[in-house]
Amino acid sequence: MSHDYKAVQWTPFKKRFDLWLLAGIALYLVIFVALSLMLGNDTASLHPIQVVIRALGTLAFLFLTFILCIGPLARLTDRFKPFLYNRRHLGVTTFLIALLHAALVVMWYHGFSETNPLVSLLISNPRYDSLAGFPFESLGLIALIIMFLMAATSHDFWNANLGPGVWKALHMGVYISYALLIAHIALGAIQFEKHPLYVVLLCAGSVTVIGLHIFTGLAALRPAQSSPLEGWLKVAPVDEMEDARAKIVRPTDGEAIAVFRDGNKVSAVSNVCRHQGGPLGEGKIIDGCITCPWHGFQYRMEDGRSPPPFTEKIATYMTKLVDGVIYVSPKPALPGTKLEPTLIPLESGPNQGKINA
Amino acid sequence: MPKNDFFIGWSPEMPTIDRRFFLGSGVALTLGTGAIAAGVASGQNPPQPGGWNMGEVRDFKAVATAEPYAMLRTTDVDGTPKTVLLGCQGKCGVSAKIGALSGKAVTVKGSLIQRGPYAMIAVIDGLDWIREDTEGNASLAFPAIETLGEIKLKGEILDTKCWFGAMNPNQGKVHKACASLCIRGGLPPAFYVKDIRDQQALMIMTDRGLAHGKDLLEFVADPVELTATAKRWGDLLLVDGPVSGIRRL
Repeated sequence: MSHDYKAVQWTPFKKRFDLWLLAGIALYLVIFVALSLMLGNDTASLHPIQVVIRALGTLAFLFLTFILCIGPLARLTDRFKPFLYNRRHLGVTTFLIALLHAALVVMWYHGFSETNPLVSLLISNPRYDSLAGFPFESLGLIALIIMFLMAATSHDFWNANLGPGVWKALHMGVYISYALLIAHIALGAIQFEKHPLYVVLLCAGSVTVIGLHIFTGLAALRPAQSSPLEGWLKVAPVDEMEDARAKIVRPTDGEAIAVFRDGNKVSAVSNVCRHQGGPLGEGKIIDGCITCPWHGFQYRMEDGRSPPPFTEKIATYMTKLVDGVIYVSPKPALPGTKLEPTLIPLESGPNQGKINA
Repeated sequence: MPKNDFFIGWSPEMPTIDRRFFLGSGVALTLGTGAIAAGVASGQNPPQPGGWNMGEVRDFKAVATAEPYAMLRTTDVDGTPKTVLLGCQGKCGVSAKIGALSGKAVTVKGSLIQRGPYAMIAVIDGLDWIREDTEGNASLAFPAIETLGEIKLKGEILDTKCWFGAMNPNQGKVHKACASLCIRGGLPPAFYVKDIRDQQALMIMTDRGLAHGKDLLEFVADPVELTATAKRWGDLLLVDGPVSGIRRL
C-alpha cells in the first residue's frame, strides 16, 4: 500500500489488461485509417495526417466515455471491479492519445507559417461571443490540460503526498474535462461532419455517462432507516448480515459507515478508503482484514488501522446488538481507535459460529 | 461467498468468475471498438478532389505577376492559356519575392497542387525558385480584366492552397485556423459557392484590384454573404470589393 512506491505494481492481470488495451487501440486505428483512405479514389482522398488526427480524437472520446462508466458499473456489479482496478492505465493511455491528437493538430493546422503554432492556436478564432463560431480548439486545450494534471498525478505517490482529499478533488476534474470534450466535439467536428452517426455517438456516450452516475448516485443516497434507539442508526437484523461482508449506513451528516460482520463479531468503520476514497462497505474481509474493492487496501476491523508496515487509519464507530438488530453510533471515533466488536450469540443468524477463513 | 470470488488487484490470483467475465468483455469491447471505428470512419464526409504531388518537383515556364497575388500565366496541356497561382511550401505567399521579374517570362521550380481546372505551384524553398527565362513566350502575357457585374453570393472564404488539395478536408470550422494562417501569410483567398443544385464555383478575392489579407480574417471559414463585382481575368474568376461588402450569416 503506502509502504514503498514502484512505477507500476505489475500483476499478471495488469499485463493482460494492458495487452488488451494496446490491441484495442491498434485495431481502432488500423480500421479507422484503412477505411478512411478507402473512401477516396485516384483524384480525391482524405489526407493521411488529418485521418490520423480524427482517429486519435474519436478514440480519446471513446476511451474517456468508457472510463467514466467504469465507476458506476463497478457499483452495479463486482465483475467490473477488475476494470476499475486498472482504470488508471486506461486514463493515462487516454491522455497520451489525446496529447498525440493535439500535437498533430497544432503541427498540421497551426504550423508551417511564421506565426508561432501555439499563438495561432489562441488567436486564430476570436469568436468567443458566438456559439456557432466558438473556438472549439480552446475547449479541447483546457480539457487536455486537466487530463495532463490527472495523468501526471495518477501515481500513489501523489495521492499520499497531496492527501486523499486534494487528490480526489483534483481527479474529479475528469468530469470537467469530459464536459469540455463534449463541447469541443459539438462545436467543432460535428458542425462539419454531416452523418447523423456522429451526433448519435456523442449523445449516446454522454447520456450513458450521466445516466449511470445519476442511477448509482441516487441508490447511494438512500438514508439510514428510522431507528427506535435515540442516537443510534439501525443497520439490519443480525440474520441479514452476510459473513465477511458489510451493510452500508448513511447518517444525515458525515461519511457513510460500513458495518462488517466477521463470524460472530460486528464492527463499524468509515466507508471511505484512505487510498482513493473507495467504498469499503462494498469490500470483503480477507485474512481478517477489511479489503477495499477498488485497489485492495486493507484495514483491521477492530481499530481501522492497516496492518504493519502500513500506516493508514480510518474512523471507527461503536456498534451494539438490541433484540436481534445491529445498531451503529453515527459519531466517529478518531481514526485508528480500537473499539470492542459487538459479539453475536452463536444461535443468531444463518452464519452462526462461522469464522472467516 | 468463497474467498476467491473477490477480486483483489494486487493478488497474483484472479477469481475464475472475473477471469471469464474479463475475457468475454475483452472480446466484446474489442469488437465494439472495431465496429465504432468502422462506423465513424465510413460516416465521414467524402473527400474532395485535388491533391499535391509533393514528390514531383519540376520547372514551369510562364509569365509571372506579383499583383494582386503571385501568379503565372502559362499554357495547359492542350495549348490554351492557363493561370497558375504560386505559394511557398508552407502557409505563405511569394508575391514579394517576385520583385523585378513581375511581367517577365520566367522559369519557376516547384511541385503542382491541382484540383480540376485550378492549380497552384508550391515553389521550392530557397532563392533559386524563380529565374528569368530570356527565351520565354511573351504571348503568354496576362489579358485585360473584364468586368461582369455586381453580384451578391452566399458562401465561404477559404484559402486556395488547401482547397486546391494541400489539405483534405479543407473547408469549414475545423479548417478555419489553417485557412486564417494561409491568408494571413499571403496566399490568395477565394470565395467558394455551392448552390442547391450542388454546382460549385471558386472566385479569387481582390479588393479594388489589390490583394486581400488580414482584413478578411474575421470572416474566414464562416458562412457569409458577399456583395462585390464579378470580373473575369483570362481563365480566372475574380470577386472584387472591400471587406465592407462581407456580412456574416
